[in-house]
Amino acid sequence: MLPKIKVDMLTLGMGAAAQLAALNAHDANPDLDILIVTKALRGKGGCSRMVQGGFNVVLDQKDSHQKHFMDTLKGGQFINNQDMAKTLVEQATNTIKEMETKYGCFFDRKPDGTVHQKAFAGQSFDRTVHKGDLTGIEIISRTTEQIMKRGIRVLEEHRALDLLYDRERSQITGALVMNIRTGELMVVEAAATLVATGGGPTCYRLCAPGPEKSLDGLAMLYRAGVEMMDMEMIQFHPTGLIVPGSVVAGALLEEGLRGAGAYLYNSEGERYMLRYDPEKKERATRDVVSRASYLEVMAGRGFPGGGVQIDAAHLGAEFVEKNFPGMTERTRLFGFDLANEPVEVSPTAHFLMGGAVINSDTETKVHRLFVAGEDAGGVHGANRLGGNGIADSCVFGRQAGKAMARFLERERTIAESDPQMVEHLCAHYRAPLSRTSGPVPADLRDRLRELNWVKVGIVRQGDSLAEASEEVEELMAEVLGAQVPSNTNYNMIWGEWLSLVNMLDFTRMSSKSAALREETRGAHARHDFPEQNDATGLYNIFLRRGQDGRPITEKRPVDLKYAAPPSKKNQPTA
Amino acid sequence: MTDVKGGQKTFKVFRYDPAKGGQGHFDTFVLDIEDYYATTILDVLFRIQREQDQSLAFRYACRVAMCGSCGMVINGKEGLACKNVVGDLRTDVITLRPLNHFPVVKDLTVDMEPFFKKYEDSMPYFEPAQELQEPAVVRPDTWERKAIDMATDCIACGCCVSSCTMAFWHKDYLGPAGLNRSMTLLADSRDGLHDERLAAAMESCYNCRLEFNCTEVCPKNISPTRAIKYIHRMAVRQGPGLADRLTSTPEPKALPAPEPLTPAMSRRRFLSRSAIGLGAVAGVAIGGMVTVSAISAAFKEPERKWVSLGPLEKIMDSPGEVATIYANYQLADGFYKRDEHKPVLVSLNREKNRIIAFNSRCTHLGCTVHWDEKKKLFMCACHGGTFFPDGVVKSGPPPRPLERYKTQVKNGNLLVLEA
Repeated sequence: MLPKIKVDMLTLGMGAAAQLAALNAHDANPDLDILIVTKALRGKGGCSRMVQGGFNVVLDQKDSHQKHFMDTLKGGQFINNQDMAKTLVEQATNTIKEMETKYGCFFDRKPDGTVHQKAFAGQSFDRTVHKGDLTGIEIISRTTEQIMKRGIRVLEEHRALDLLYDRERSQITGALVMNIRTGELMVVEAAATLVATGGGPTCYRLCAPGPEKSLDGLAMLYRAGVEMMDMEMIQFHPTGLIVPGSVVAGALLEEGLRGAGAYLYNSEGERYMLRYDPEKKERATRDVVSRASYLEVMAGRGFPGGGVQIDAAHLGAEFVEKNFPGMTERTRLFGFDLANEPVEVSPTAHFLMGGAVINSDTETKVHRLFVAGEDAGGVHGANRLGGNGIADSCVFGRQAGKAMARFLERERTIAESDPQMVEHLCAHYRAPLSRTSGPVPADLRDRLRELNWVKVGIVRQGDSLAEASEEVEELMAEVLGAQVPSNTNYNMIWGEWLSLVNMLDFTRMSSKSAALREETRGAHARHDFPEQNDATGLYNIFLRRGQDGRPITEKRPVDLKYAAPPSKKNQPTA
Repeated sequence: MTDVKGGQKTFKVFRYDPAKGGQGHFDTFVLDIEDYYATTILDVLFRIQREQDQSLAFRYACRVAMCGSCGMVINGKEGLACKNVVGDLRTDVITLRPLNHFPVVKDLTVDMEPFFKKYEDSMPYFEPAQELQEPAVVRPDTWERKAIDMATDCIACGCCVSSCTMAFWHKDYLGPAGLNRSMTLLADSRDGLHDERLAAAMESCYNCRLEFNCTEVCPKNISPTRAIKYIHRMAVRQGPGLADRLTSTPEPKALPAPEPLTPAMSRRRFLSRSAIGLGAVAGVAIGGMVTVSAISAAFKEPERKWVSLGPLEKIMDSPGEVATIYANYQLADGFYKRDEHKPVLVSLNREKNRIIAFNSRCTHLGCTVHWDEKKKLFMCACHGGTFFPDGVVKSGPPPRPLERYKTQVKNGNLLVLEA
């Protein structure tokens, strides 16, 4: 028998979505027993903390929710879930105000003392609230302190392995959790479970999220049979650092640099964005700029490190140092100098627009299961705007907390997990510990990263996507025969293996979904289908796990509930 | 930059496996590094783990100095593994050990609970002074923001607390990270727990000895020392009458928190603490000066002579692994002679029939260290320095191992060459 913990509300993850859910649920009903499970130290994991640029929100009289809504849909190429996009822009305003007035965040101010909002790509109004160029530290430090203040329990360095069902498979009962320090497994059961572990496409050669991210939430949800959407939509951020061989490779130079007027050059000294998007130039959305950079490098106009150059020096060293101190420092550590010279950058895998299908209250179709933040899909459509990510996590974390407190008013019973399921999962996850031969996880992970970079990358093609789907199955078979050291105390190699299984389950979804979308839209670019095709109608690709582990897919039309695209491309003119 | 891109480097890495227990040891790894400036210590650890020893444990998350997970002691100085490139560390051998003062979980990972405990005790959480609907209007050029904005980037990595010689010697000392956060809230006009916070900070902030270690090591370039001085100044201006103000407030301003599951300070607790704190401030300050005067640094190299510690057989029969023998002798020191009565620590290896005699003077500031038989460590009571049985520094501020005496046995007596 495994040790068992029972709580009212279980939160997997401790980024902004998870923390805001816990805080809001607690404030709605301080009597709730809430447990946060995080695989990092408290408040240190995840991508919210790594947010640089800021938080898009309507605060100015001259701005409006309608404008923010339309910007979000345009960025997402109109395949967003419009109810969720509406919730995002409307609730962002209250959310950011609460973060200032209740949690003590302090964002940068204008000289008159009101909150400053800066320019970000793809936006019709300067609406990005920020704290210098390291906004995430302010947000997560302050909310983590509020978690302390409320005495909400945190199990740190504990990692959820899978969601658990009851015997009838009619509801989620909690999660199987591993203590990273000892390797012990335990069952946490809850009346309501929130998955908010965050995404982070770390299964690419270059990626922006920290290497600790491993798509745990998305993989767990997939394995639990939850319906997922838009899994082909993987955002590449145009300006990732290139430091060959270092784990820092792919880390971002923030979007605000382009917003402030930095230029991008190819190796021929051309500002190529003038060619790709003469109107918005470097301030075009991330998908457009990343694709342009990629095509320049593929055309032989890249720099030796395989990237292009970003140049902010013409803005003045003093300006760059003052406004982007974190970025300047980051480049100088590696012998570059953003304030005074161009720095080589590459598109880097950054964010997943896709995820679990939820409604505006973060409910899934599975009883007692809620999902918020990057683990959920729909709100960003085919491409997320810079500054809408942390807004998403905070807004839907807050929605989750309120909705879960309401749910727990009605249903505060804790169902029992299926003991057979628990037993089976324990055996499955412990298997590599006792194996004495087989491949090593790190080698397999490197292969997966290359596979994704080349075949499910910035620009894709039908035949290579089909190959990717098959190669993923082969890799999965190898991974299931891999070996790890048997000492379970802080066994990082075992952790790597667990991460790899999750990355592979994710790639099953992304490669299949990407093969099905035969057009170029937002972050999804097809070499064999270079045009955006609105003629056949706007649709999302939904999927769930089949018996053999591969996804079963379904296309469904987008509900253009509040707004339709202004001019449909490739529309027959009849 | 020079033309030298890379080469071979040796890394001495602290190892401890909870399954095996013991004191831990250092393992040596040699790596060929292509480019010293493109390689962080975190990269080094990943490579050692992948290429040489899969069992190596270390902690990381963001790898860009934003999460504070990879704090460790790098060549004797606290820092983030992800923010130290090999090129900046100019030694042939680079030593990596876990943060000081914290229980080691495995190898370079420590249990940060004592850090979070102190941080939580500093009441790091904002409490709104009034219910506002809109973000407060605060001009960025105000004194308030100038004081705060330099100090809010703290990522709770624990480097400052590890470097502080006071934080763990004084149980209730909130330490640099906690007091830094205190300062940012004390200066914040939006915060509603000002007096309570000030009382807690005042009780604690005089434990700072202005060694500036925290300021020197902070990877985010924050100066907790400056924050502590800010609190000192605030205490002078606002301290008088603070106790009255606190006790005369009938309604608690803090949220009536439910029974805390993790330790969080209740208002009642910090009220009782503040009452003690206000009275104790002066005493603590004076106590501090007394401690400082205990330093006995030798400024002049006196003539050396052999001093007897008595029959070796008797010493070997002492209980425990270390015998503390008082050496009595007369020392010629300049113009006068003085009588010494000084403990010598004799480490006994009965199996190999060998002994090592240590000077009991702490290599930090000269206090007397003692042997703790239970922990199997030499401990210094002044600033919490600890040493392994072989005299090597385990934790705390001492810059080098305990000094070993030259020994000889003459007529069955153990002699040490005194300095």
